[in-house]
Amino acid sequence: MSDRILRLQHVQIRVPDLELCTAYYTEVLGLIQTAHEGDRVFLKCWDEHEHHSVVLRQAPTFGLDHMSFKVAELEDLDHYTERVEGAGIAVKRYARGELGPGWGDAIRFEAPSGHTVELVFGMEKVGNMLPLFNPPPRPGNLVGIAPPRIDHLFIMCEDVEAATSFYCDVLDFRLTEQILANDGHQLATWMERSHTPHDLAIVTGPNGALHHFAFWLDDWNAIREAADLLAFNGVHIDIAPTRHGATRGYTTYFFDPVGNRNEMFTGGYWVDPDFEPITWTEEEMGRALFYYAREANERFFTVHS
Amino acid sequence: MGVLRLAHVDVRTPDLDLSTAYYSEVLGLSVVRRDDDVAYLKCWDEEDHHSLRLRYDSRIGLDSFTFRVEAEDDLHDLEKKLEAYGCAVRRVSRGEAVGQGESIRFEIPSGQTMELVWELEKTGNLLGKLNPAPMPPPTLPGIAPPRLDHMLINAEEVGESYAFFRDVLGFRMTEQVLDANNHQLGVWLERSHSPHDIAIVNGPNGAMHHFAFWLDDWDHVRKAADILAYNGVQIDQGPTRHGVTRGNTIYFFDPLGIRNEVFTGGYSPDPDFPAITWTEDQFGRGLFYYENVVAQRFLRFHT
Repeated sequence: MSDRILRLQHVQIRVPDLELCTAYYTEVLGLIQTAHEGDRVFLKCWDEHEHHSVVLRQAPTFGLDHMSFKVAELEDLDHYTERVEGAGIAVKRYARGELGPGWGDAIRFEAPSGHTVELVFGMEKVGNMLPLFNPPPRPGNLVGIAPPRIDHLFIMCEDVEAATSFYCDVLDFRLTEQILANDGHQLATWMERSHTPHDLAIVTGPNGALHHFAFWLDDWNAIREAADLLAFNGVHIDIAPTRHGATRGYTTYFFDPVGNRNEMFTGGYWVDPDFEPITWTEEEMGRALFYYAREANERFFTVHS
Repeated sequence: MGVLRLAHVDVRTPDLDLSTAYYSEVLGLSVVRRDDDVAYLKCWDEEDHHSLRLRYDSRIGLDSFTFRVEAEDDLHDLEKKLEAYGCAVRRVSRGEAVGQGESIRFEIPSGQTMELVWELEKTGNLLGKLNPAPMPPPTLPGIAPPRLDHMLINAEEVGESYAFFRDVLGFRMTEQVLDANNHQLGVWLERSHSPHDIAIVNGPNGAMHHFAFWLDDWDHVRKAADILAYNGVQIDQGPTRHGVTRGNTIYFFDPLGIRNEVFTGGYSPDPDFPAITWTEDQFGRGLFYYENVVAQRFLRFHT
């Protein structure tokens, strides 16, 4: 049987200034541009083997166009078409290459959270920046923060509980952590497919909104170095390096030049498929988000794209 | 589906008290059960009963190693595959082994005993499931790794062992070392989307090279070296960096001579990851990227 959804493959985001954002994502974040076609720029991290993990699209507004998850087998697209249609949601199928350069076979549908979800198989392999023979542990010519890969994304919706049910029941995500309000309803949830604390998380907010997407760094020291680079480049840092209670991760949050929130993340834990989820109570929500400060600033809840 | 991750390593020790003291006080594992001639230990973030079993015997050595499978059905499927390959598979029923349910045991081509299990007794980690702290109590002694990570075994015919792990158990190769005749000297294999859950390097059949615990970062590796040196533990290599796996590492010996490692770093391979190849002339860099030497004790000494 297939391993089904493996991990986050890419995000496509809207930017009102494509040139400025391309400069930011390549020079400050240190991603590599793999294509520029029409109103879209395609980017990847240095250790990623596939064509892109971030797509920037010129648009009048900012925000998330869609999120894409990688599946293990081609037949997983049929499997999830049936499952999603079974939940009463229309699914569109796209042939390899139809959605853009480097793209594999894909399906798309709108989740109850108001987000367009894509599942993709067979992205074009362009290789990471290391040779397959006697590779050094990292390339020598990286610029900016240069995270090795994309890690997860955090979305918002009005009914977290219904959205979480959809992602878990229909797409087989597994719940790792949740924040429960005093009346018992879910304020936020963390879900995984890749045996990490989260590939996708949801917090209460407007349907269709993006809270942030995150890149992986190897350790806490790299988070500190990232904050140095962000500050040096005049990037607006939302949350300086700190630690999450939920996921146990180390983090810094910041905004791209048009207001999409980014995160650099490391840490966490290994998750078996039968992991018993962790629960945070409403009183401890501050600690769940930021373990040292024990509270989140107002901006963290209200600003999204 | 299939094999999920390394669950526990079972080793022999001629001094059970000394070994138990070392693994609990220097490494900082918790003793979860102690019988007359067996001790069971686990790391602070592990949810299952144990990840290390120490058994008194007159000589050091590897009793067996156990991988968890993802679903209950996998045990049956893998048993059929193993029997088709020609392995004699023994069913171990629930209650025969401490801390786990039904399992299957068999000898792999290189002579070690391997076990597969699905049901592990859940005893919880040290943090709990309600508003947990992100770290264990600061009073935890020793290095205190969060979990067991991987192991490395020896085989006379690495290629044959690799074929077995690939074809029968579904492991995927991430890296290999080839000699000048394209003969495999070592292979690194994964199921958990990490650079390795098990590695196999040329050496005597039945032998274990080391087992390794995960640490969260290089700073913890440095601190582990401090703790080891302070406690008079013999350090074999490091702290340094691997070329193979890109990991940051220290190797050291337990009081009876079993090699341990603490490890962090690496990368996250998809199932379609293209394997990396090291040539024999670059083997030194593959092993220890900074030193670039093929350390003889490292290659020749095993349990």
